[in-house]
Amino acid sequence: MSQFLQQLINGLSIGSVYALMAVGYSLVYSIMNFSNFAHGGVIMLGAYFGYFYLTAAGLPFPVAFIGAALTTCLLAVIIERGAYKPLRERKAPFLYFIISAMGTSIFLENIVIATIGPTFRTYPEILSRTPIQIGSVSVGRLDLTMFIISAICLALLVFFIDHTKMGKAIQATAYNIKASALMGINTDLVIIVVFALGGFFAGIAGVLFGMKYTVYPQIGIITNKSFIAAVFGGLGSLPGAVIGSILLGIIETITSGYFSSQYRDLIAFVLLIAVLIFRPRGLMGKVTEDKA
Amino acid sequence: MDFNYISGILTLAGINLMAVLGLSLLTGFTGMFSFGHAGFMAIGGYTSAMMTVKFGLPFIPALLIGGLAAALVSSVIGKLTLNLKGDYFCIATLGFGEAIRLILDNVQYFGGARGWPGIPHHTSLLNVIIINIVAIIVLANIVRSKHGRNMIAVREEELASQIVGINVFKYKLISLMISAAYAGIAGGLMAHYMTFLQPKMFSLVKSTELTIIVIFGGLGSISGSVLGALVLTSLPEILRTFSEWRLVIYGLSVVIIMITRPSGLMGGYEFTPSSMKKLFTRIRNRKNGLPNHMEGGKTA
Amino acid sequence: MYKKSLALLLVSLMILTLALSGCSKPATQTGTEGGAAADVIKVGWMGSLTGDQAVWGQCELDTVKMLFEEINAKGGVLGGKKLEVIGYDTKGDPQEAVNVAKRLTGQDKVVAIIGPNASGSAIPIAPVLEEAKVPDIATVATNPKVTVLDGKVKPFNFRVCFIDPYQGAVAAGYAYDVLKFTKAAILYDVADDYSQGLTEFFEEFFKAKGGTIVAKEAFKFGDVDFRPQLSKIKEAGPEVLFLPVFFKEAALIANQARELGITVPLMGGDGLPSEQLFTMAKDAVQGTYIVNHVDYDDPEVQDLKTRYRNKYGKELELNGYLAHDAVVLLVDAIERAGSADPVKITEALETADVQGVTGRIKIGKDTHNPEGKEAAIVKIEGDKYVFQQKYSAQLD
Repeated sequence: MSQFLQQLINGLSIGSVYALMAVGYSLVYSIMNFSNFAHGGVIMLGAYFGYFYLTAAGLPFPVAFIGAALTTCLLAVIIERGAYKPLRERKAPFLYFIISAMGTSIFLENIVIATIGPTFRTYPEILSRTPIQIGSVSVGRLDLTMFIISAICLALLVFFIDHTKMGKAIQATAYNIKASALMGINTDLVIIVVFALGGFFAGIAGVLFGMKYTVYPQIGIITNKSFIAAVFGGLGSLPGAVIGSILLGIIETITSGYFSSQYRDLIAFVLLIAVLIFRPRGLMGKVTEDKA
Repeated sequence: MDFNYISGILTLAGINLMAVLGLSLLTGFTGMFSFGHAGFMAIGGYTSAMMTVKFGLPFIPALLIGGLAAALVSSVIGKLTLNLKGDYFCIATLGFGEAIRLILDNVQYFGGARGWPGIPHHTSLLNVIIINIVAIIVLANIVRSKHGRNMIAVREEELASQIVGINVFKYKLISLMISAAYAGIAGGLMAHYMTFLQPKMFSLVKSTELTIIVIFGGLGSISGSVLGALVLTSLPEILRTFSEWRLVIYGLSVVIIMITRPSGLMGGYEFTPSSMKKLFTRIRNRKNGLPNHMEGGKTA
Repeated sequence: MYKKSLALLLVSLMILTLALSGCSKPATQTGTEGGAAADVIKVGWMGSLTGDQAVWGQCELDTVKMLFEEINAKGGVLGGKKLEVIGYDTKGDPQEAVNVAKRLTGQDKVVAIIGPNASGSAIPIAPVLEEAKVPDIATVATNPKVTVLDGKVKPFNFRVCFIDPYQGAVAAGYAYDVLKFTKAAILYDVADDYSQGLTEFFEEFFKAKGGTIVAKEAFKFGDVDFRPQLSKIKEAGPEVLFLPVFFKEAALIANQARELGITVPLMGGDGLPSEQLFTMAKDAVQGTYIVNHVDYDDPEVQDLKTRYRNKYGKELELNGYLAHDAVVLLVDAIERAGSADPVKITEALETADVQGVTGRIKIGKDTHNPEGKEAAIVKIEGDKYVFQQKYSAQLD
């Protein structure tokens, strides 16, 4: 039983990492209807910015943390302006966005390799590594902190979306971008805000990821998993992204814990395919239909 | 300048081209985007290698069997996923491509992740060129036929095609199977060129590379795909001198191409005798100050 | 219309550049500039300069450059000829490796190639070597199939390191016979050939000696969270945890294992030793045993370390030692062959018997591997790898 609890905690811990990353994806998808593959690169840069603010600039941790998130926020907006806006203007099919996104992610990953170098960086130890023991279950201090920070951020986000004017504008644009524009909503601004939010979350996810593991240019690849989580939970739904991520984390962990660790990734993809075949809108996604 | 070195690059470009041609039919002409075609290459590669190594079959039959295997698997995948909306189909292919690779990583009979060395070296620049020429001719005939026109109709306006009576599902499936067969043959060519197979050679990166080539060359253009394959396979070699920066430039140039000329190099046009004639006429008319469409230098 | 002709022009330009790229300079080149061709012997190097193993690849190349400079300063080889290295990045990719091998042998006309460090790159280049008749000395490629396939030795492939079966046997033997562990757990990378190889042989030899493998868990390269597997391993209660992986994963695993409360010692192969291990997981890896190629306390080794540190300001990684021995092997073969002809060098390599910093390298004619090379077992104490003993294993 304690083994099961331990694996559950492991799953929650992985899941909360996926959740932070998946939220960024879902946000952008709900507005733009495409999967922003460059998100992974932004997360990776968040980890690097956090690291450098902490070590090279010697800033105290909370400042470095928020600083990194703000920097990625800006970066995401720049990417939107540079790589996606021109495509939006000429009404390119969504595939072009994806190619552009992939090009951006290759660019980001390699510019880090070319300039900073491919060696891994480790965050200085902010929290002690000795775990908290609850019975025979070990919970890492960092995991607990991450969980709390994720929960706070997500709660703030939900509050923003539901209770502020801009939040409502985002909801409207997500529902129907053309109608919203007709109603007088500055959809261009909404898009900038959404990317900024996505970027902010990416920065937080990046720093936390870097602290939990290490910082290296290929961090972006992990985000493929969070993408699966977002689809599972339902693209376009924020609560869906979070729940999907946590569930994915737990399912993966239980699979490796009780069946075979070799097939952990395979299960994730099988799940993805099953979801797409049987319930494409995921657990909580919006139902989109072909317009005639 | 060493011919052996250049021929190596051209052979690789030819192998990529084979897969790109198939993908071009699916993406360029039928309008469906796949991020999992490396998986079909893998199936074709491993199957054809099994044919030559374990059963001692000669090269060409082995390649064809590899292509057939890939087509069969694609038909199963197609039955399951072709009813999904565009972007979801895309994601599903991504999932399948990765799943195939992960399965191969674990199957020790084929060497697993450690790879399978010792495959006979059958691929040469000559047979790659010949196979590609045959492939192009077959593809051009498909595209020009009634079937090809149906596929283009599906690409342009799916709902309307259905109303007009075109069996959309059937054509999507045919398109998928042919593209998978081409990719499978390409995989077989790859296996017998490297004499070594490893699942990580067929990752998401490879699938993305193939799709990028099709877009770069221009959707709906076979000659575009040929040019695209040649240019984008040799690009890393040309940029080799900048070693670390070449991938940076690669990523950036992909984005720039998308922004400035998303219709790709050929933009739907083809290099055929009639189009070349038209091109020359246009250039000549331009020089003589005539409107572009005039023929033979006659005045209005 | 303008755009289309522009596009055509662009494409023709690119094809032209490809043709010209044949004449372009490679990534790195040392040696005399503008020296007469006859006085320069070109040696190729290939390895990962980007990707996960970039740290090792870069170190190898730097070591070779440094050694060539030293040799040239002392008068060169074959009575005054200078050595020049031409190095390319394989990006850790087999396809790239083949391209690079073709470029080195065809374009740059090297007499021999040093590297690569990855078996996945070393295996597919064999046909290229055979066609060009140029020998290759792999540095840390430990998969048996690099030099011997289906019982036949590949005429132009050699290596200076021991092979995976041997490493696995050494680890198993040391764990059982010397450390007296009878229950071991393994956590390996299912997507990596090196890891799979070591695991297979460790398991085989450990069980043959009478030990039990209480847990055998896997992960896939790219994973960073190993807690599910580690939790299972903890339940199984091993006395030692064998990690046939590379240093990045090892560091992450070690940290997470300690966080979960696993206190048993760790053991690993030559993928582990790196200065990075200390930056990432210093506390977690204390007391780890490693099957290594080299005894870091050996005075000759120390000397090499100091020279490297003085020149580059960095610590010498494991690959550097093996690159050094590859150079020693090659230079010896060139001198004994009495010429820079690749085929003659290959023949000389087949009977080579030199002393390197990693031990005695006596190339076996049937395997092109160093025969009976001893491994050095080191243990991590503080931030040093402390030499324990030399150990060799019997392979049947």
